[in-house]
Amino acid sequence: MSLSGTVIRPQAETVKARWPDERELLARVSTGDLQAFERLYRIYQPRLARFLISMLQRQQLVEEVLDDTMMVVWQTAGSFRGSSKPSTWIFAIAYRKALKAKARWPDPVEDEEYDTRVSDDPAPDEQLHHQRLHNALRDAMEKLTPEHRAVVDLTYFHGMGYREIADIVNCPVDTVKTRMFHARRRLRQAMPGNLADWL
Amino acid sequence: MSYPTLPVEEAHDEAEELLPWYVTGQLEESDRIRVEEHLSSCGSCREQLAFERRMVQEFRAQAPEVDSGWARLRDRIEERGQAPSPVRRAANDLWNVFRQPGVMALAAAQVGFLVVGGSVLLSLSQPSYRALGSAPTSPTANMIVIFRADATEEDIRDVLKANGASIVDGPTSADAYLLRVPTRQRQLALVRLRSNDQVQMAEPIDGAAQ
Repeated sequence: MSLSGTVIRPQAETVKARWPDERELLARVSTGDLQAFERLYRIYQPRLARFLISMLQRQQLVEEVLDDTMMVVWQTAGSFRGSSKPSTWIFAIAYRKALKAKARWPDPVEDEEYDTRVSDDPAPDEQLHHQRLHNALRDAMEKLTPEHRAVVDLTYFHGMGYREIADIVNCPVDTVKTRMFHARRRLRQAMPGNLADWL
Repeated sequence: MSYPTLPVEEAHDEAEELLPWYVTGQLEESDRIRVEEHLSSCGSCREQLAFERRMVQEFRAQAPEVDSGWARLRDRIEERGQAPSPVRRAANDLWNVFRQPGVMALAAAQVGFLVVGGSVLLSLSQPSYRALGSAPTSPTANMIVIFRADATEEDIRDVLKANGASIVDGPTSADAYLLRVPTRQRQLALVRLRSNDQVQMAEPIDGAAQ
């Protein structure tokens, strides 16, 4: 059986190629190099923003946690020992910060800024079809716990392996697999219509 | 290279669990081979594989806009002076040395040398720290202490209380503690600690008491 073409890896190689640069940047940041910190920030801001939106689903909280995360990076870059990838270290900080923020804001949030539901404007069938799926997945994600959302986002969007995710969320590898398994089941159940309609 | 074959049901459960990372190319070779072997004979997992591919595409198509907050963060750093502290960095370096199991074997004189070396490094780094125009914003350790092996928890508590000291980190595998004592009392605390029977070693770690 040929399974060529089933692997989707748009980011993994790019990330690997960045490691040495990021390590060097972190070393420079630890000496108080603000320019190096800005470069690191610009590399990580979009990735962390995406991750934190998945976890927190609230724009204002995302900015606060992202800033706090990068402040920790700024202040403690000297403690990065290189035993993990810089991304693992930085995402782990963001994950911990996000869980703490979530604990302070435990109630479900109606977030108009994040709302991308289907508009009232007429839309072509294909676009409507896509938006229905998008909204269904979004609603399903909202019903998951932040811990489950983190694993889903790190896997599907950030293309991380389960070992790296386990390091980030500080839990056993089997827990990562189990969280992902249950999250996928919930996402699939939430898809309107049959699977074949969406493929 | 061959890998052990799992019973059918077990192989199905394992493959189904690993499919997201198969799709993103994040599986180790042994896992990847097992998943592919199972996929060749399991229609349910092939359907699930199609779902996984769709999920990856869907998640990567969503890119919510978050404005760059660089200007905000830079202002926070510059206005509040939240610079990475050379003191903290050097303390971290020293601390990591103490965390090494092999450090247990170091003689007290060697430990003292490391501490003094750290202090020299710290004093050399002071200008850049001041150039950023800030005071430390959170308590950092300013002393490192090793208690005698037979000191009880009560002994340690008494010593800490008597000197207004709090534990910032520790104990390490070398049984060292990083302490914070009020700056103005540190010199006196050092004298007291060094003369205390329960204390094997006490050294400042930011050079200010030299």
